[in-house]
Amino acid sequence: MPLVNWFKRKFVVIAGLLTLAFLLLPNVVVTVFSFNKPKGRFNYAWQQFSTDAWKDPCGVSGLCGSLSLSLQIAFWATLGATALGTMIAFALVRYRFRARGAVSSLIFLPMAMPEVVMAASLLTLFLNMGAQLGFWTILIAHIMFCLSFVVTAVKARVMSMDPRLEQAAQDLYAGPLQTFLRVTLPIAAPGIAAGALLAFALSFDDFIITNFNAGSTVTFPMFVWGSAQRGTPVQINVIGTAMFLVAVLIVLTSMVINNRRNKQKA
Amino acid sequence: MKTTTDAGGDVRLSGISKTYGSFTAVHPLDLTVPQGSFFALLGASGCGKTTTLRMIAGLEEPTSGTVHLGDQDVTALPPYKRPVNTVFQSYALFPHLDIFENVAFGLRRRGIKGVKQQVGDMLDLVQLGEQARKKPHQLSGGQQQRVAVARALINHPKVLLLDEPLGALDLKLRRQMQLELKRIQTEVGITFVHVTHDQEEAMTMADTVAVMNGGRVEQLGSPADLYENPRSTFVANFLGTSNLIEAEVDSRSGEDIVLKAGDGKLVLPEARCAAPTTTGGKVLVGIRPEKISLTHADDAGGIPEGRNRITGTIAATSFIGVSTQYVVDSAVCPEFEVYVQNVDRDSRLAPGAEVVLHWSPAHTFGFDAAQSLLAGTTGSAGLDEEAAL
Repeated sequence: MPLVNWFKRKFVVIAGLLTLAFLLLPNVVVTVFSFNKPKGRFNYAWQQFSTDAWKDPCGVSGLCGSLSLSLQIAFWATLGATALGTMIAFALVRYRFRARGAVSSLIFLPMAMPEVVMAASLLTLFLNMGAQLGFWTILIAHIMFCLSFVVTAVKARVMSMDPRLEQAAQDLYAGPLQTFLRVTLPIAAPGIAAGALLAFALSFDDFIITNFNAGSTVTFPMFVWGSAQRGTPVQINVIGTAMFLVAVLIVLTSMVINNRRNKQKA
Repeated sequence: MKTTTDAGGDVRLSGISKTYGSFTAVHPLDLTVPQGSFFALLGASGCGKTTTLRMIAGLEEPTSGTVHLGDQDVTALPPYKRPVNTVFQSYALFPHLDIFENVAFGLRRRGIKGVKQQVGDMLDLVQLGEQARKKPHQLSGGQQQRVAVARALINHPKVLLLDEPLGALDLKLRRQMQLELKRIQTEVGITFVHVTHDQEEAMTMADTVAVMNGGRVEQLGSPADLYENPRSTFVANFLGTSNLIEAEVDSRSGEDIVLKAGDGKLVLPEARCAAPTTTGGKVLVGIRPEKISLTHADDAGGIPEGRNRITGTIAATSFIGVSTQYVVDSAVCPEFEVYVQNVDRDSRLAPGAEVVLHWSPAHTFGFDAAQSLLAGTTGSAGLDEEAAL
């Protein structure tokens, strides 16, 4: 039974590779089809290799405009949610105040609320307030739903921080601002960065809440959805692949920097 | 390395106290730590020693009283404005900075330029010059501890506060670091205030020890003074082992008090008694186990006159190499502990043997009988100190 034994020994590796394939296969399809030259309007069947779409990513009218809008919203929503969420996380961990427990649970409620219900309710709220739907309503909505995630990520980090580190900084002549900048912030940074990345990803590809509250504004996910009903331009795959590559590049760069730092230390 | 010896480095605590809600961690306390001394605050967890230390550092605000450093009243100053540095219990090294930057932290915050030389010298003093570019988690416990000391000392504080700095180290390393810290203190001449629950550590390192119990200082003195002349059962039991006998004041002869314990008489110099001695009053008499001689009852005639004597039966013996420890049952004290050096071992001193315990009256100490015999023995520790913070 050498085959069975081999399988037993390699089971974990095989399971891991299969799961990884399951995870990455859709990305591969996106990339492959960005080099397709479809017949007709739908990019669903492989025809022939072409780099046309890569040469002209903005060739479809409205696509790059929506992409730029989505990136802007994601940037500002990340900034807003990270700043607010970090402060909330510190408040929840560091300070004892009335209803702290209640606030702590309330922060998580938006995550539990079905998104589509939240979207419809937000629209009701905005309409009742007489707000004009567009960039600002989208941004407000995005900051709102990203907040819970940022708080969760930062809170976990702050909870594991030893308050004595800040006392040690104060003991070593660092005033409150210096203590925050030199000790608190650098140590909390990984949590804050994780929260920010999460917020960016969530905001960038949010469709449901955005669709309800955008008015006549069109973000990238809305553009994809809209065009999918009339035909899918290959450029969508190009944008998707590019985003994926940028993310991979960022991860690789940070790994290289980390490795180099560790080597210097050793 | 430059030593800071500017005058007025005394730490003076006047009427300082700390309460948390209804819990009093430190009762109003007056304490003076002389400049340049190695001072230990000794006590079980929850006795208020760490709170006292943190009030000196400025990390805890006193409920009442003042803290003076030399002539300066620092009570209202935040920690970052006090010329005092702390070595924290868990070291509290900055995990995101390397050893060099950890040590340079205090200098940089005060805007001092060209710290390289100073940090290098300091790291050499604690023998960590090679490790400057490592992160704290890459060092062993003992090395981390030395970084914490270097990080504090480089600022030439008027006072260095040490909060159980050796608690996380194993026994052998702890011994080594005790000597190391003592060496550094002698070398730099800075006042050290050291908090510990380890009586041996306090006695080995400190010039002066303040024994704390329940938020109060029980007794203050040199290690030898505290050991030889405890003024309460807590001190007698917390520092080493003591045999305590309940006795009654019988009469006086000159400088001495004659006490009645069971059928026998004991003599106690009046100067060594921390209780009022009215005839008929009760006192507790104490004697350290190593001060006692053990003689077999058959040889009792050879014991010189003028020594305090008690008769008993050996209940147990244990051989420790340098000495033998005996537990003796007697009428006045059920489990009398006696340590005898193994010079000439008397083979008759086995369990069941009738013996006479005798010692010089000068080694006897006495105090008020109205206190627990067991105060300060292990297991009678109060609240956890952390819980009080």
